[in-house]
Amino acid sequence: MDIFTVSLWVLTFTALFLSLVKNKEKTVSSMKMARSMMGSMIGDIFGILLLIGLLLTFIPPENIKNILGQSNYIASTIVSAIVGSITLIPAFVAFPLVGSFVDVGASIVPSVAFLTTLTMVGVVTFPLEKREFGLKFALTRNSMSFAFAIIIALLMGVLI
Amino acid sequence: MKVIQYFNKNKLLTIVLLIYAVLFLITPAKAGLAVKNSIYYIVEMLQIMPVVFLLTAILEAWVPKEVIMNGFGERAGLKGSAFSFILGSLSAGPIYAAFPISKMLLKKGASVTNIVIILSTWAVVKVPMLANEAKFLGPKFMGVRWILTTIAIFIMAYLTAMIVKIESIPMTELTHKKKGGEININEQYCMGCGICTRISPKNFKMKNKKAKFKENDVNDSENVNKAIEKCPVNAISN
Repeated sequence: MDIFTVSLWVLTFTALFLSLVKNKEKTVSSMKMARSMMGSMIGDIFGILLLIGLLLTFIPPENIKNILGQSNYIASTIVSAIVGSITLIPAFVAFPLVGSFVDVGASIVPSVAFLTTLTMVGVVTFPLEKREFGLKFALTRNSMSFAFAIIIALLMGVLI
Repeated sequence: MKVIQYFNKNKLLTIVLLIYAVLFLITPAKAGLAVKNSIYYIVEMLQIMPVVFLLTAILEAWVPKEVIMNGFGERAGLKGSAFSFILGSLSAGPIYAAFPISKMLLKKGASVTNIVIILSTWAVVKVPMLANEAKFLGPKFMGVRWILTTIAIFIMAYLTAMIVKIESIPMTELTHKKKGGEININEQYCMGCGICTRISPKNFKMKNKKAKFKENDVNDSENVNKAIEKCPVNAISN
């Protein structure tokens, strides 16, 4: 484990210890809630992780570099942002997937666009949002999030 | 039946495992390589999963959500925005889980700006997720994205408030209510946390990862009300 992960573990377990000391019942019941929420994701998590292995084996890194690499990043960024908008997978499993693409040479610009629209823009949840907040709100929020996802992605490309 | 149920619950995993099974028959060497490629990410995931899990639980236990939400009507300006930001960052669950809570806050007098802040932070900048992001993409990547996203969220929130007036948001309840006394669970919002089944096992059960109301001769109304109150996404109503 790297130093970052180790410090997270130390921090988290200290917090857990304090939480248990302060109110055992409350802590345990929250853990049960978190467990049911995570439990429903665990199949997808391992599905994605095993899928990463397949993708890395059968798609040559050069191809990923060519498609998502530095060369044509404007087009690939917009496509990634669209793909992110229509997929509804938990962000939790998106990070290793995107991480694996970056590891083999994908540019971070489309990666950021995908990650941001994945969580902030919801084509699948649009009808729900429209019902609760009205068409104008849902349309404004989603299209603005899409535009800002691309702006954030391009800025990330400059900053990192 | 059992097999079909299992498949529906774990579609992705089942399909991927089937592909692996076929691969091992055709080209064992490639399949082995794919497993090897996956193992690195599985190990990384196993290192970070307990952290994300425990952080989610600890935040859920100690963030006084009710206190934050109850004072919403009075808080305006920057302070209200800061509260919205904190509420969104520290809550668990997908973005649609934030819809009913935001709607409730709107009715209590929260502004359009603050609703956009809650929805967006709820979606993108969750604290336990930041740990996960830093693990797979590096702390610097996470940090820069967090700063840029935060700035973008505030700009978006103020712009949206200029475009969308509060009057254009439907305030009447569109979900058809059942006759009085009956308990209604909005399945689109239920995220299957199972809190209600633990508070009132007599009246709630889980079916296909969603909470269901059990009709009983004797309804334990005290615990049912407690469950309504405790539901993290306000999906239960009576």
